[in-house]
Amino acid sequence: MNQRTLIFVAAVVVQLAILAGIPAKKIYTRTTGQEVVLKVVPVDPYDILKGYYVTLGYEISRPSDLLDASKLETGAVIYAVVEKQDDGLWTPVAIEQTLPQDLPTNRAALRGTWNGLRFTYGIEEFSIPESKREVIADDLNKNLNEARVDVKVDANGNAALLRLKIQDRIYE
Amino acid sequence: MTPNKSTAFRATLKQELPAWLQEGLVSDDTAQRLAARYELNKLSQESSGLLAAVIFTIGGLLLGGGALSFVAANWEEIPTFAKVVLMILTLLAFHGVGYWLWHHKNWSRLGHALVFTGSLVFGANIGLMAQIFHVSGAWYGGFGAWALGTLVMAYAARSWITGLLALVNSVIWVLGISHDHHSFWISILPLLLAAVYLPLAWQLRSRLLYAATFAGFTIALCSLAEQQYSSAKFILMTLVISGFLAWATGEFHRVKNIRPEFGNLLAGLGIVTLGVIAYIWSFHEWWRVDSWLNRATAERPTLQWLLPTGITALIGLALIVMMLQEIQALPTRRLLAIGITLASGILVVCALLGAIHRGDQMLLTLAVNLAALIIAAVALAIGVMDERRAAFWTGTVFIVVLILSRFLEYETSLLLKSAAFMICGVTMIAAGIGFEEHLRHKEAQL
Repeated sequence: MNQRTLIFVAAVVVQLAILAGIPAKKIYTRTTGQEVVLKVVPVDPYDILKGYYVTLGYEISRPSDLLDASKLETGAVIYAVVEKQDDGLWTPVAIEQTLPQDLPTNRAALRGTWNGLRFTYGIEEFSIPESKREVIADDLNKNLNEARVDVKVDANGNAALLRLKIQDRIYE
Repeated sequence: MTPNKSTAFRATLKQELPAWLQEGLVSDDTAQRLAARYELNKLSQESSGLLAAVIFTIGGLLLGGGALSFVAANWEEIPTFAKVVLMILTLLAFHGVGYWLWHHKNWSRLGHALVFTGSLVFGANIGLMAQIFHVSGAWYGGFGAWALGTLVMAYAARSWITGLLALVNSVIWVLGISHDHHSFWISILPLLLAAVYLPLAWQLRSRLLYAATFAGFTIALCSLAEQQYSSAKFILMTLVISGFLAWATGEFHRVKNIRPEFGNLLAGLGIVTLGVIAYIWSFHEWWRVDSWLNRATAERPTLQWLLPTGITALIGLALIVMMLQEIQALPTRRLLAIGITLASGILVVCALLGAIHRGDQMLLTLAVNLAALIIAAVALAIGVMDERRAAFWTGTVFIVVLILSRFLEYETSLLLKSAAFMICGVTMIAAGIGFEEHLRHKEAQL
């Protein structure tokens, strides 16, 4: 292999490394994380690079009595502690400013960032297949109260979306 | 003197040479020497090669566009692992086949187009990966990743078009990140952009990429000024300084005879930028203190963008100093340098004074109009002195447009407007006739 070919191959390897790096964190979280179920609230934009996606909101997205968000600076990191309820849903019980340690198995901490209006956890964008866009949007509008997401949360609080569930319908 | 290697001239020469030979205007030996000097035997290869390059590039773009649309459609039925494998194989196929055709089969244009398409597929794959794993984040992050991978490929494959793609993605990324982040390191991004892409353009001898880098740099710098301070006057200032640098760099190439072909495009780009800016800003509305255009809307205004802007201005002035000897030797060069530097200086001072709400509004408006007139007058004078039609007509038309704009802008009677239009029209026609007569007279003497 001559030098020119070697350099070209190295460039291809760089591109592959970048591609691998994009979902790396999510793959790690999906592999090692604990599964939690969250209730959702949606919004609907279009992104040319990712195709269609729905922006999802959660109970843990909004500022609440658990923490006075007015004192937070934009970009501030928080950890929303959620606890599993009898109905299988995980609901917020506390918001901490450092990663909680030694949580019981029925609790998980999601790492979030305050953007000035709401907390975001890296699980707000759910990609929609074009063929199912109308179906999912319609389903969400009609059955908002019954929309749930399955999420994996790793030991550092990073979260990864697995699937969207509306009643008995599952979208991945 | 560099021979005129434009395709149009060479095609005409190739067409005329047999007739000259037949009529005894040139000898066999002269004809052969002319044919060799202008590489007339390569003309048909080049035109068919160029056509092939265009076709292959369009084909590559269509393929890449198809890949991107494929992302938007979202590919649901195939399992995740298979999707990822297929994406990677597609990328490897385009790059692999492209490289093989380019360097091992002498199908250089097709191979190059496929390698370029590979970088488009890389962009599609970024979107697909984010989609499959529901990766969320700032919208510009994807463009940043695309830019990085494409830039590396542009250097490795020595591909100017891949470099252009990387540049576009880089500029989009800078626009996005400068909106969300205002740290010091963001302020040096435009300079980093130039530092990364200018060497690539130089290495590849690509005038288009070279000029596009200056354009990208200008956009990035203006975006910084807009995001960090949002004063229209400061954006004006960055535009003027960038235009001045583009002109100064172009002049430097021409004057020092360092790749003068780079200089023509760049100097033209710089002068056009300055002319357009001066014209737009010649309207009084920009300079009224209470004008809506004066609102500074940045949340937390900062002056960090002044650093790259200042460095740009210093580089431009340094280039002028380095060319002083050559500039002083030629009257037209001297006139151009003085005129452009003076006009740019007036525009920058007006922008600064206007931004801090100092100086009479009318005076600032007049000063900007003066700067615009200087640019027009310089173009006109060079056209007459060097007998260049393009410069003459650019200067003439610009002066007329400036005068008529002022008449239309201010409240004047219809009669006065009519007189102004007619005078301008008659003057333009008379000047044009005079100039053309002068040129014809000169050609007849030769």
